[in-house]
Amino acid sequence: MALTQLDISTEYIGEIVESSTSQFTSESRELNGAPPFGSFVKTLGALPVYGLVFNVCTHSIEPNRRATAYGLTEQELREEQPQIFELLKTEFEAVIIGYGDDRGPQQVLPPQPPGIHSFVFPCTESEIKALTNSGDFLRSILCGNRLPADDLIIASVRNAWAARASDMPYLVGIGKDLCRLIRDDYDRLSSIMRRISQ
Amino acid sequence: MNDLWNNLNGSPNIQDGGEIGVVTQGSLTEGVEMKLNPDRSVEDVKAGKFVVIEGYKNQFFSMITDLSLDATNPEILLYPPRESDQLLHSVLNGASTYVTVALRPMLMLEQGEEVVDEPRPVKTIPSHFSKVVEAEEEDVSRVFGSEEKDDRFFNMGTPLDMDTPVCINLNRFVERSNGIFGKTGTGKSFLTRLVLCGLIKNKKAVNLIFDMHNEYGFRAMKEGGQGNSFVKGLKQLFGNQVALFSLDPESSRQRGIQPDHEVYITYDQIAVEDVIALQDELQLNPTASESAYLVYAMYKNRWLRQLLSLDGPDVEQFAEDIGANKSSLSALHRKLKRIENFPFMVNSLNGADAVDTMMDYIDRGIHIVLEFGRQTSMLAYLLVANILSRRIHEQYVTKSEKFYASQNSEDQPRPLVITIEEAHKFLNPATARQTIFGTIAREMRKYYVSLLVVDQRPSGIDEEVLSQLGTKITALLNDEKDIQGVLTGVSNASGLRSVLASLDSKQQALVFGHAVPMPVVIKTRDYDEIFYKAMGDLSDEERMEKAEAASAAIFGD
Ligand SMILES: Nc1ncnc2c1ncn2[C@@H]1O[C@H](COP(=O)(O)OP(=O)(O)OP(=O)(O)O)[C@@H](O)[C@H]1O
Ligand SMILES: [Mg+2]
Repeated sequence: MALTQLDISTEYIGEIVESSTSQFTSESRELNGAPPFGSFVKTLGALPVYGLVFNVCTHSIEPNRRATAYGLTEQELREEQPQIFELLKTEFEAVIIGYGDDRGPQQVLPPQPPGIHSFVFPCTESEIKALTNSGDFLRSILCGNRLPADDLIIASVRNAWAARASDMPYLVGIGKDLCRLIRDDYDRLSSIMRRISQ
Repeated sequence: MNDLWNNLNGSPNIQDGGEIGVVTQGSLTEGVEMKLNPDRSVEDVKAGKFVVIEGYKNQFFSMITDLSLDATNPEILLYPPRESDQLLHSVLNGASTYVTVALRPMLMLEQGEEVVDEPRPVKTIPSHFSKVVEAEEEDVSRVFGSEEKDDRFFNMGTPLDMDTPVCINLNRFVERSNGIFGKTGTGKSFLTRLVLCGLIKNKKAVNLIFDMHNEYGFRAMKEGGQGNSFVKGLKQLFGNQVALFSLDPESSRQRGIQPDHEVYITYDQIAVEDVIALQDELQLNPTASESAYLVYAMYKNRWLRQLLSLDGPDVEQFAEDIGANKSSLSALHRKLKRIENFPFMVNSLNGADAVDTMMDYIDRGIHIVLEFGRQTSMLAYLLVANILSRRIHEQYVTKSEKFYASQNSEDQPRPLVITIEEAHKFLNPATARQTIFGTIAREMRKYYVSLLVVDQRPSGIDEEVLSQLGTKITALLNDEKDIQGVLTGVSNASGLRSVLASLDSKQQALVFGHAVPMPVVIKTRDYDEIFYKAMGDLSDEERMEKAEAASAAIFGD
């Protein structure tokens, strides 16, 4: 038990600072060390919650202050003004696409939001597969508000596809689901598919 | 990689005979539509294919009648994906772009039900999303019967892309007059030979064949890949069950054939009716028949001999004498003069009357092929076929009346099937009501005589006659009028129209009507050594062996 505790504390990539049943915001453990846009993340707990990163931002730790431009490279800045990096933090937001119960990942919103201060971890390949075996996660993306839907679809489908060793029939199947979900918007479909497979 | 895309876009190698699509909509009158499964390639699905719709309670045996490419979004059609964009192709396939297949349910059977003689019409349609599957072997034999079951069934070929035989029910076939159609070179004569073999082999009727092109009795030409070859005729296959009559014995002999009988016709045997049948061919005007009847009224049987004995100028006087229209009678006289040129026309017979000989054979159940030799003119064919058929029919009427009166099964005449080629010449709308063939076609075998009409221009045949034909076997037809003609009297003809027009140009035929429970497209059975064997014919070696065995039996080794 102690070992896993240790394990977790070394692997986590963020900590939740704001939470709801549909989205959560976490602070990245490292400055500029957030998981990439479109990656699958999870929190651990009684009910693990799965999310998809849709926004990453770095800003001043004080709400009303902004960083100032110095005209120096990062290298020079680190040497001359190391303290300013202490005043910055990186945050990332994730849209919740499911939670886990004893049957494994379910593509349904969790009954309760993930707890504040829970740690956030990247998902394993098998979890990604379980979450993306149907096109339902695309629906969560398309229905969520203020999400950059098309880009998020492209990034997440690429991840899901990579988890399956670039299996073509999978991509075609997802394409068909997407086509139905965006109601035959041919233009949009062809642009998304083109960018996924690039 | 290419294979991969082929797989995604409907692979040609998915041939598991399984599901090909689901029913999406339809109506009883218009037929049903199915959406093709995306894993099937549209190019594997052909018009005329025999498929089964699995409803909840019933199986619907259906024919594919039409195919269409559809798209949910017209924009796709305006900006089709580029060829290199295989992914988009695959994504659209089956989702936004899909194939709709029109099906025509032709026969409905409850699970486990067998086809009885009179199939029930389709009265309902399968429900939404019923599975459509490729027909399997047992489906074919369940619907069409099989030769092993019963000698009623005769193998005519196989459904498209299948190997199970499709049989026609010969008992039902001989209950009506039937037609074999198709444009020239599509295999009508081969189909006819097949049907005749079936009738002879299974002893369902006696045949009288007016063989205009000398291709039924002995040896017929087969066009093939490497030059022409010959196939066996009925006489070769069935030996003394078939008698060969010839109108031109010299030609028969030149071809190395010894006819069993020669046929001659006397002028007295030609009736006015027979001349009416020539109306089209001789371009007689309608008053000609009146004139002919006037002559007949005076001279009875000798009317034609009398008329033809006159010289040109005397005809007018003659017309005046009998009160006929002068110009009409002269025209008739002039045109009938052509008959005198036929070598088979004689003033009096030396031997027996051909009709008596024929009746004698027919009564013994022996089939007759009448070869025309070099007498290939339409006029000779029409004239002879009319005279002989009329007189044989007369005898059949007498026999049948006798049977109806006595009801003694010994008196029952043997059903007779008369085969004529170029049938539209016999059965055109202008004369079909007055000629013997029109009569036979309309009276529906009341007198045990029916027709097998073979024709390439069915639109030229009287509509009433066409609609009386029980079973129609038709190879490719292109002309819209001909297609319409063949489908006269068929309910729900619309689907069959496209099927007919899309048949292969050889050895494929649509069979529908009385002798099959549902319309079906077949690849016609090969007329080859295997077929000869099935008809009981021996190969040359076997014949030798048999002869040796026989001689050994007689003379000892
Ligand atoms: N069942 C068959 N078995 C073998 N060959 C066939 C068969 N059906 C058609 N053919 C091929 O098609 C060719 C044409 O067939 P056929 O002579 O029967 O045509 P048709 O319709 O009677 O033509 P036409 O109008 O000239 O009389 C044949 O010579 C033969 O090569
Ligand atoms: Mg022919």
